[in-house]
Amino acid sequence: MPKKRVIAIDRSNKEWKEKIISSIIIATATVSSLLLLAMLLFILKESWPVWSQIGISSFLSGASWRPLGSPPQIGILSMIVSTLWVAGGALLIATPLGFACAIFLAEFAPPLLAAVLRPVVNILTGIPSVVYGFLGAAVLVKFFEVKFDLASGESLFAASLILAIMVIPFIVTNSEAALRSVPLEYRYAAMALGVSRQHLAMKILVPLARKGMLGALALAFGRSMGETMAVLMLAGNILRLPMSWFAKGEPLPALIALELGSTTPGSLHYQALFAAGLVLVLMVMTVNLGINILLYRLQKGGHTI
Amino acid sequence: MKRTLMDRLQMACFWVSGLFILLVLLSIIGYLIWRGGPFINSEFIMSSPSGFPLGTEGGIFPAIKGTLWLILLALIMSIIPGLLTAIYLSEYGRQGQLPVIINLLVQSMAGVPSIITGLFVYALGVVTLGWGISLLAGGLALAIMVFPVIVISSRDALLAVDDNYRLVANSLGVSRSYTLFRVILPRAAAGILAGWLLALGYAAGATAPIMVTAAAIIASSSGALLEPVMALPYHLYILFNEHISMNHAYATALVLLGLLLFINVLALSLQSLQERINSH
Repeated sequence: MPKKRVIAIDRSNKEWKEKIISSIIIATATVSSLLLLAMLLFILKESWPVWSQIGISSFLSGASWRPLGSPPQIGILSMIVSTLWVAGGALLIATPLGFACAIFLAEFAPPLLAAVLRPVVNILTGIPSVVYGFLGAAVLVKFFEVKFDLASGESLFAASLILAIMVIPFIVTNSEAALRSVPLEYRYAAMALGVSRQHLAMKILVPLARKGMLGALALAFGRSMGETMAVLMLAGNILRLPMSWFAKGEPLPALIALELGSTTPGSLHYQALFAAGLVLVLMVMTVNLGINILLYRLQKGGHTI
Repeated sequence: MKRTLMDRLQMACFWVSGLFILLVLLSIIGYLIWRGGPFINSEFIMSSPSGFPLGTEGGIFPAIKGTLWLILLALIMSIIPGLLTAIYLSEYGRQGQLPVIINLLVQSMAGVPSIITGLFVYALGVVTLGWGISLLAGGLALAIMVFPVIVISSRDALLAVDDNYRLVANSLGVSRSYTLFRVILPRAAAGILAGWLLALGYAAGATAPIMVTAAAIIASSSGALLEPVMALPYHLYILFNEHISMNHAYATALVLLGLLLFINVLALSLQSLQERINSH
């Protein structure tokens, strides 16, 4: 029966097509995700002489950066400290505001105001860092200079302040999502017990959402460590170990952005910048990966408290 | 009595922080319009920087053009891998270890600082492949930067499509690819498009990666792949940092902000359109 055979051939043809499509999709997904590893390996390769000749510990703990001096000194301790200080300070300022705003949005904001605030938060995340940095430098730094009679108002504190404003929207969005993902049963039970809305929010919802809210903080921390433009324009760019929040410093991203263009490829200076980049990306990834593992466990275990 | 006082204080904190967010956005927009608005005219938009030092006179046309080239190139290079990865994660990879690993890699990529992407492309494109500081290198850096944004937004849009469609298509014996192209993708199209717009906006504002791979203080931004380009965010940085012209810096910031607000509002409205489609 010739007709049946035609159908059979047609079907196997289709299966073949399906197989091609699905293997293209799987291959693209795998290859493009592996790009991250390729990036890390490439940066490791470019910076290899630093690790093999100078050594991890003296690179990380050396406080002086004179890659062009003789003998050249490359230590990035002061940049690491600046990075952590700026990001930690930003988190210190952003956390209370961000959490309060998230709780407000999730529980207390009148619907109309919430409908305005949510897109506002979204739009704030879309404003580029160079605009925040520019406004911070043009307005905030000027204000410090006039108010406290300083020669130059740049400091780690100024950078932290602007970074805080930049990461607040991230903290708000992610914490609100965490608060909203608390199962409704808790809310119903609390309402049935006649608990006040504030008690419900602070004593029931926040503790239940705390993992997600911590995740939001870690995300914000990673983001402020890796942020370039704002710190470049605000932190003062001085290669000295910062001794206070109000000192100047040069976080790792600013170092890379400022010096990369002027290096000779293959020189120690060039390699040292890649080594600094590797340190930065590993710092950020440690924080983010930790949080991803935490959130993955949270998803798997359902809402375990 | 003390209890209610504390409660009220707490409540006041919530309100203040909520209104603070609103105030931040309004003051950014208001201040930029106040300081930069008077300098925006057709000459500023349509002419090249001139004067001495360069940028004190003239306009920002090459920077606008350069930014458009950069984001267009970034989008062209990232949408196909991004969309295919998202399709894999939502339609094909529903079991096993591979999707978990890919998800984790994409999430980690989203967290990689943009300067690191710039550093990588500098070593690979600018130095090793000999492209030099160029539009191509900048486009590649931005493409790598927005790739995770595209994957995550497209994946979420696809996952939000009601599973019943997949079930019904499957039970009717329709092939997997037909279901994907004719049923799932059209229903998620608005959300996917919104993600592309968000990626465009993200790329348009990014400064650090193009600063080391593509941007020049002055260039014609003709669209030649191996030539450096001007870009709005970098031009803003230079105008301010080299003390060239504060007025033009404010005006450039306003143009950049306007472009991004336009893109983001478009993306947000597409997102809400998608939500309406999903709830039907």
